[in-house]
Amino acid sequence: MTRLRAAIGAEWTKLWTTRTVWWALLSALVLMAAGAGQYALYAGNGDLPASVFRDGLVPAGSIAVLALSFAQLAFLALAMLAMTSEFSTGTIRSSLTWVPARGRLLLAKCAVVAAVTFVTGVVAGLLGSLVARPLLDDLGTSAGVLTQSLKIGLYLAVLGILAVGLGAALRGPVLTLVVLLLLIVVVPPLLQVPDIAVLNAVADAMPGVAGNHFLEGDSPLVGLAIVSAWAIAAVLAGRAVLQRRDA
Amino acid sequence: MTLEKLTKRFGATVAVDGLDVEIRPGRVTGFLGPNGAGKSTTMRMILDLDRPTSGRALLDGRSYSAYEWPLRHVGALLEAGAVHPGRTGRNHLLAMARSNAIPVRRVDEVLELAGLGGSARKRAGAYSMGMRQRLGIAGALLGDPPVVVLDEPVNGLDPDGVRWIRGLMRGLAAEGRTVFVSSHLLSEMQVTADHLIVIGRGRLLADAPLAEIVAGHASLEDAYYQLTDGSVLS
Repeated sequence: MTRLRAAIGAEWTKLWTTRTVWWALLSALVLMAAGAGQYALYAGNGDLPASVFRDGLVPAGSIAVLALSFAQLAFLALAMLAMTSEFSTGTIRSSLTWVPARGRLLLAKCAVVAAVTFVTGVVAGLLGSLVARPLLDDLGTSAGVLTQSLKIGLYLAVLGILAVGLGAALRGPVLTLVVLLLLIVVVPPLLQVPDIAVLNAVADAMPGVAGNHFLEGDSPLVGLAIVSAWAIAAVLAGRAVLQRRDA
Repeated sequence: MTLEKLTKRFGATVAVDGLDVEIRPGRVTGFLGPNGAGKSTTMRMILDLDRPTSGRALLDGRSYSAYEWPLRHVGALLEAGAVHPGRTGRNHLLAMARSNAIPVRRVDEVLELAGLGGSARKRAGAYSMGMRQRLGIAGALLGDPPVVVLDEPVNGLDPDGVRWIRGLMRGLAAEGRTVFVSSHLLSEMQVTADHLIVIGRGRLLADAPLAEIVAGHASLEDAYYQLTDGSVLS
């Protein structure tokens, strides 16, 4: 336990001592604010689907969830780079001499990334709601903003773990980013376009769509379970690769 | 530190072939061999970075990863490139210290010792090869370890640096530590090492005191060429 705490301390120091994290977090907040503003204006123009409305009003937190489709890319970049920069800069060899237990190193990295994406995710959710609420005017409501922001933080924490695990399994930023974008951004809409039950079901099992069900859908726990399963699978794959391959 | 029939194969190539040696404390053990002889691979197996195909490397009877705080037992300089270019030298060592519960004041001690005090807060990407090498050596000494493993520590150092590392290694050995250092600079080894392990094509060619290896030859260089004749990769 003391060793895990030490490994987490080292990962914490590593995360905050390069500029990547600051740029990624700044981008995330800018994307969130801009996206929330845009969606709030859409709502005002009557361009949002009926599913966004609750009792005839648009919850500001739901606008933050819509804007998250942009902002999550910056969170993904942050989480993914925390792991893959180890391979692209060669620091993985340093990290593994400091913490030779592959599983512990990966766990420490997941803990740090998840903590950071959770807290900043909650902040981003609140920021998005804060931007959206005045723009929604009398069409909007602040009800449930805190719950929605906490859920955004939780989703981003799990997504961060998924990105770290995948980064360890694929060992490089380019491939990892491509796979993440395919899983979360590209493939789901392609599956959903024909609107065939089987393809829709497959899309529902993808991490981004499942995350959306968690944030906005009627069966949030199933959505959370699916994203978590993806994250656990990625971490297990990452650990297996770290253990098997020479550093 | 003992290597027991340590072997590493990469596909059909045998990089390290049944290496069986003991590296003793209180002296500088030089590790020599042509390029591709398996020196770096051996050192990486000592640190559990590469997994041996068979055999093992033990430090006081335990493998590197079996130690609770490995940096306090073994300090290593492997390729000096393993530092994030965007992180300052001091922050690199700070993270390293945290990982093994080493007090933070030790970071400034080794920075001073390595002559990096002035550049500690610069990003490592701006370091010269010599400065990166000094940072790597500072890291190797961070945990005040009884065993020090250095892969080509002289690379990129200026004459002052070379002299410094020579004195440092002699000093560490005089304190009773195990110093295991690879180099391809024979003249440097001749003035630094007490004992030599020579390998070629992954196999042990010699494991003897420096004086014994040089005896009967004009220099270590002559002795070395005779030993490694036929094991240089063409």
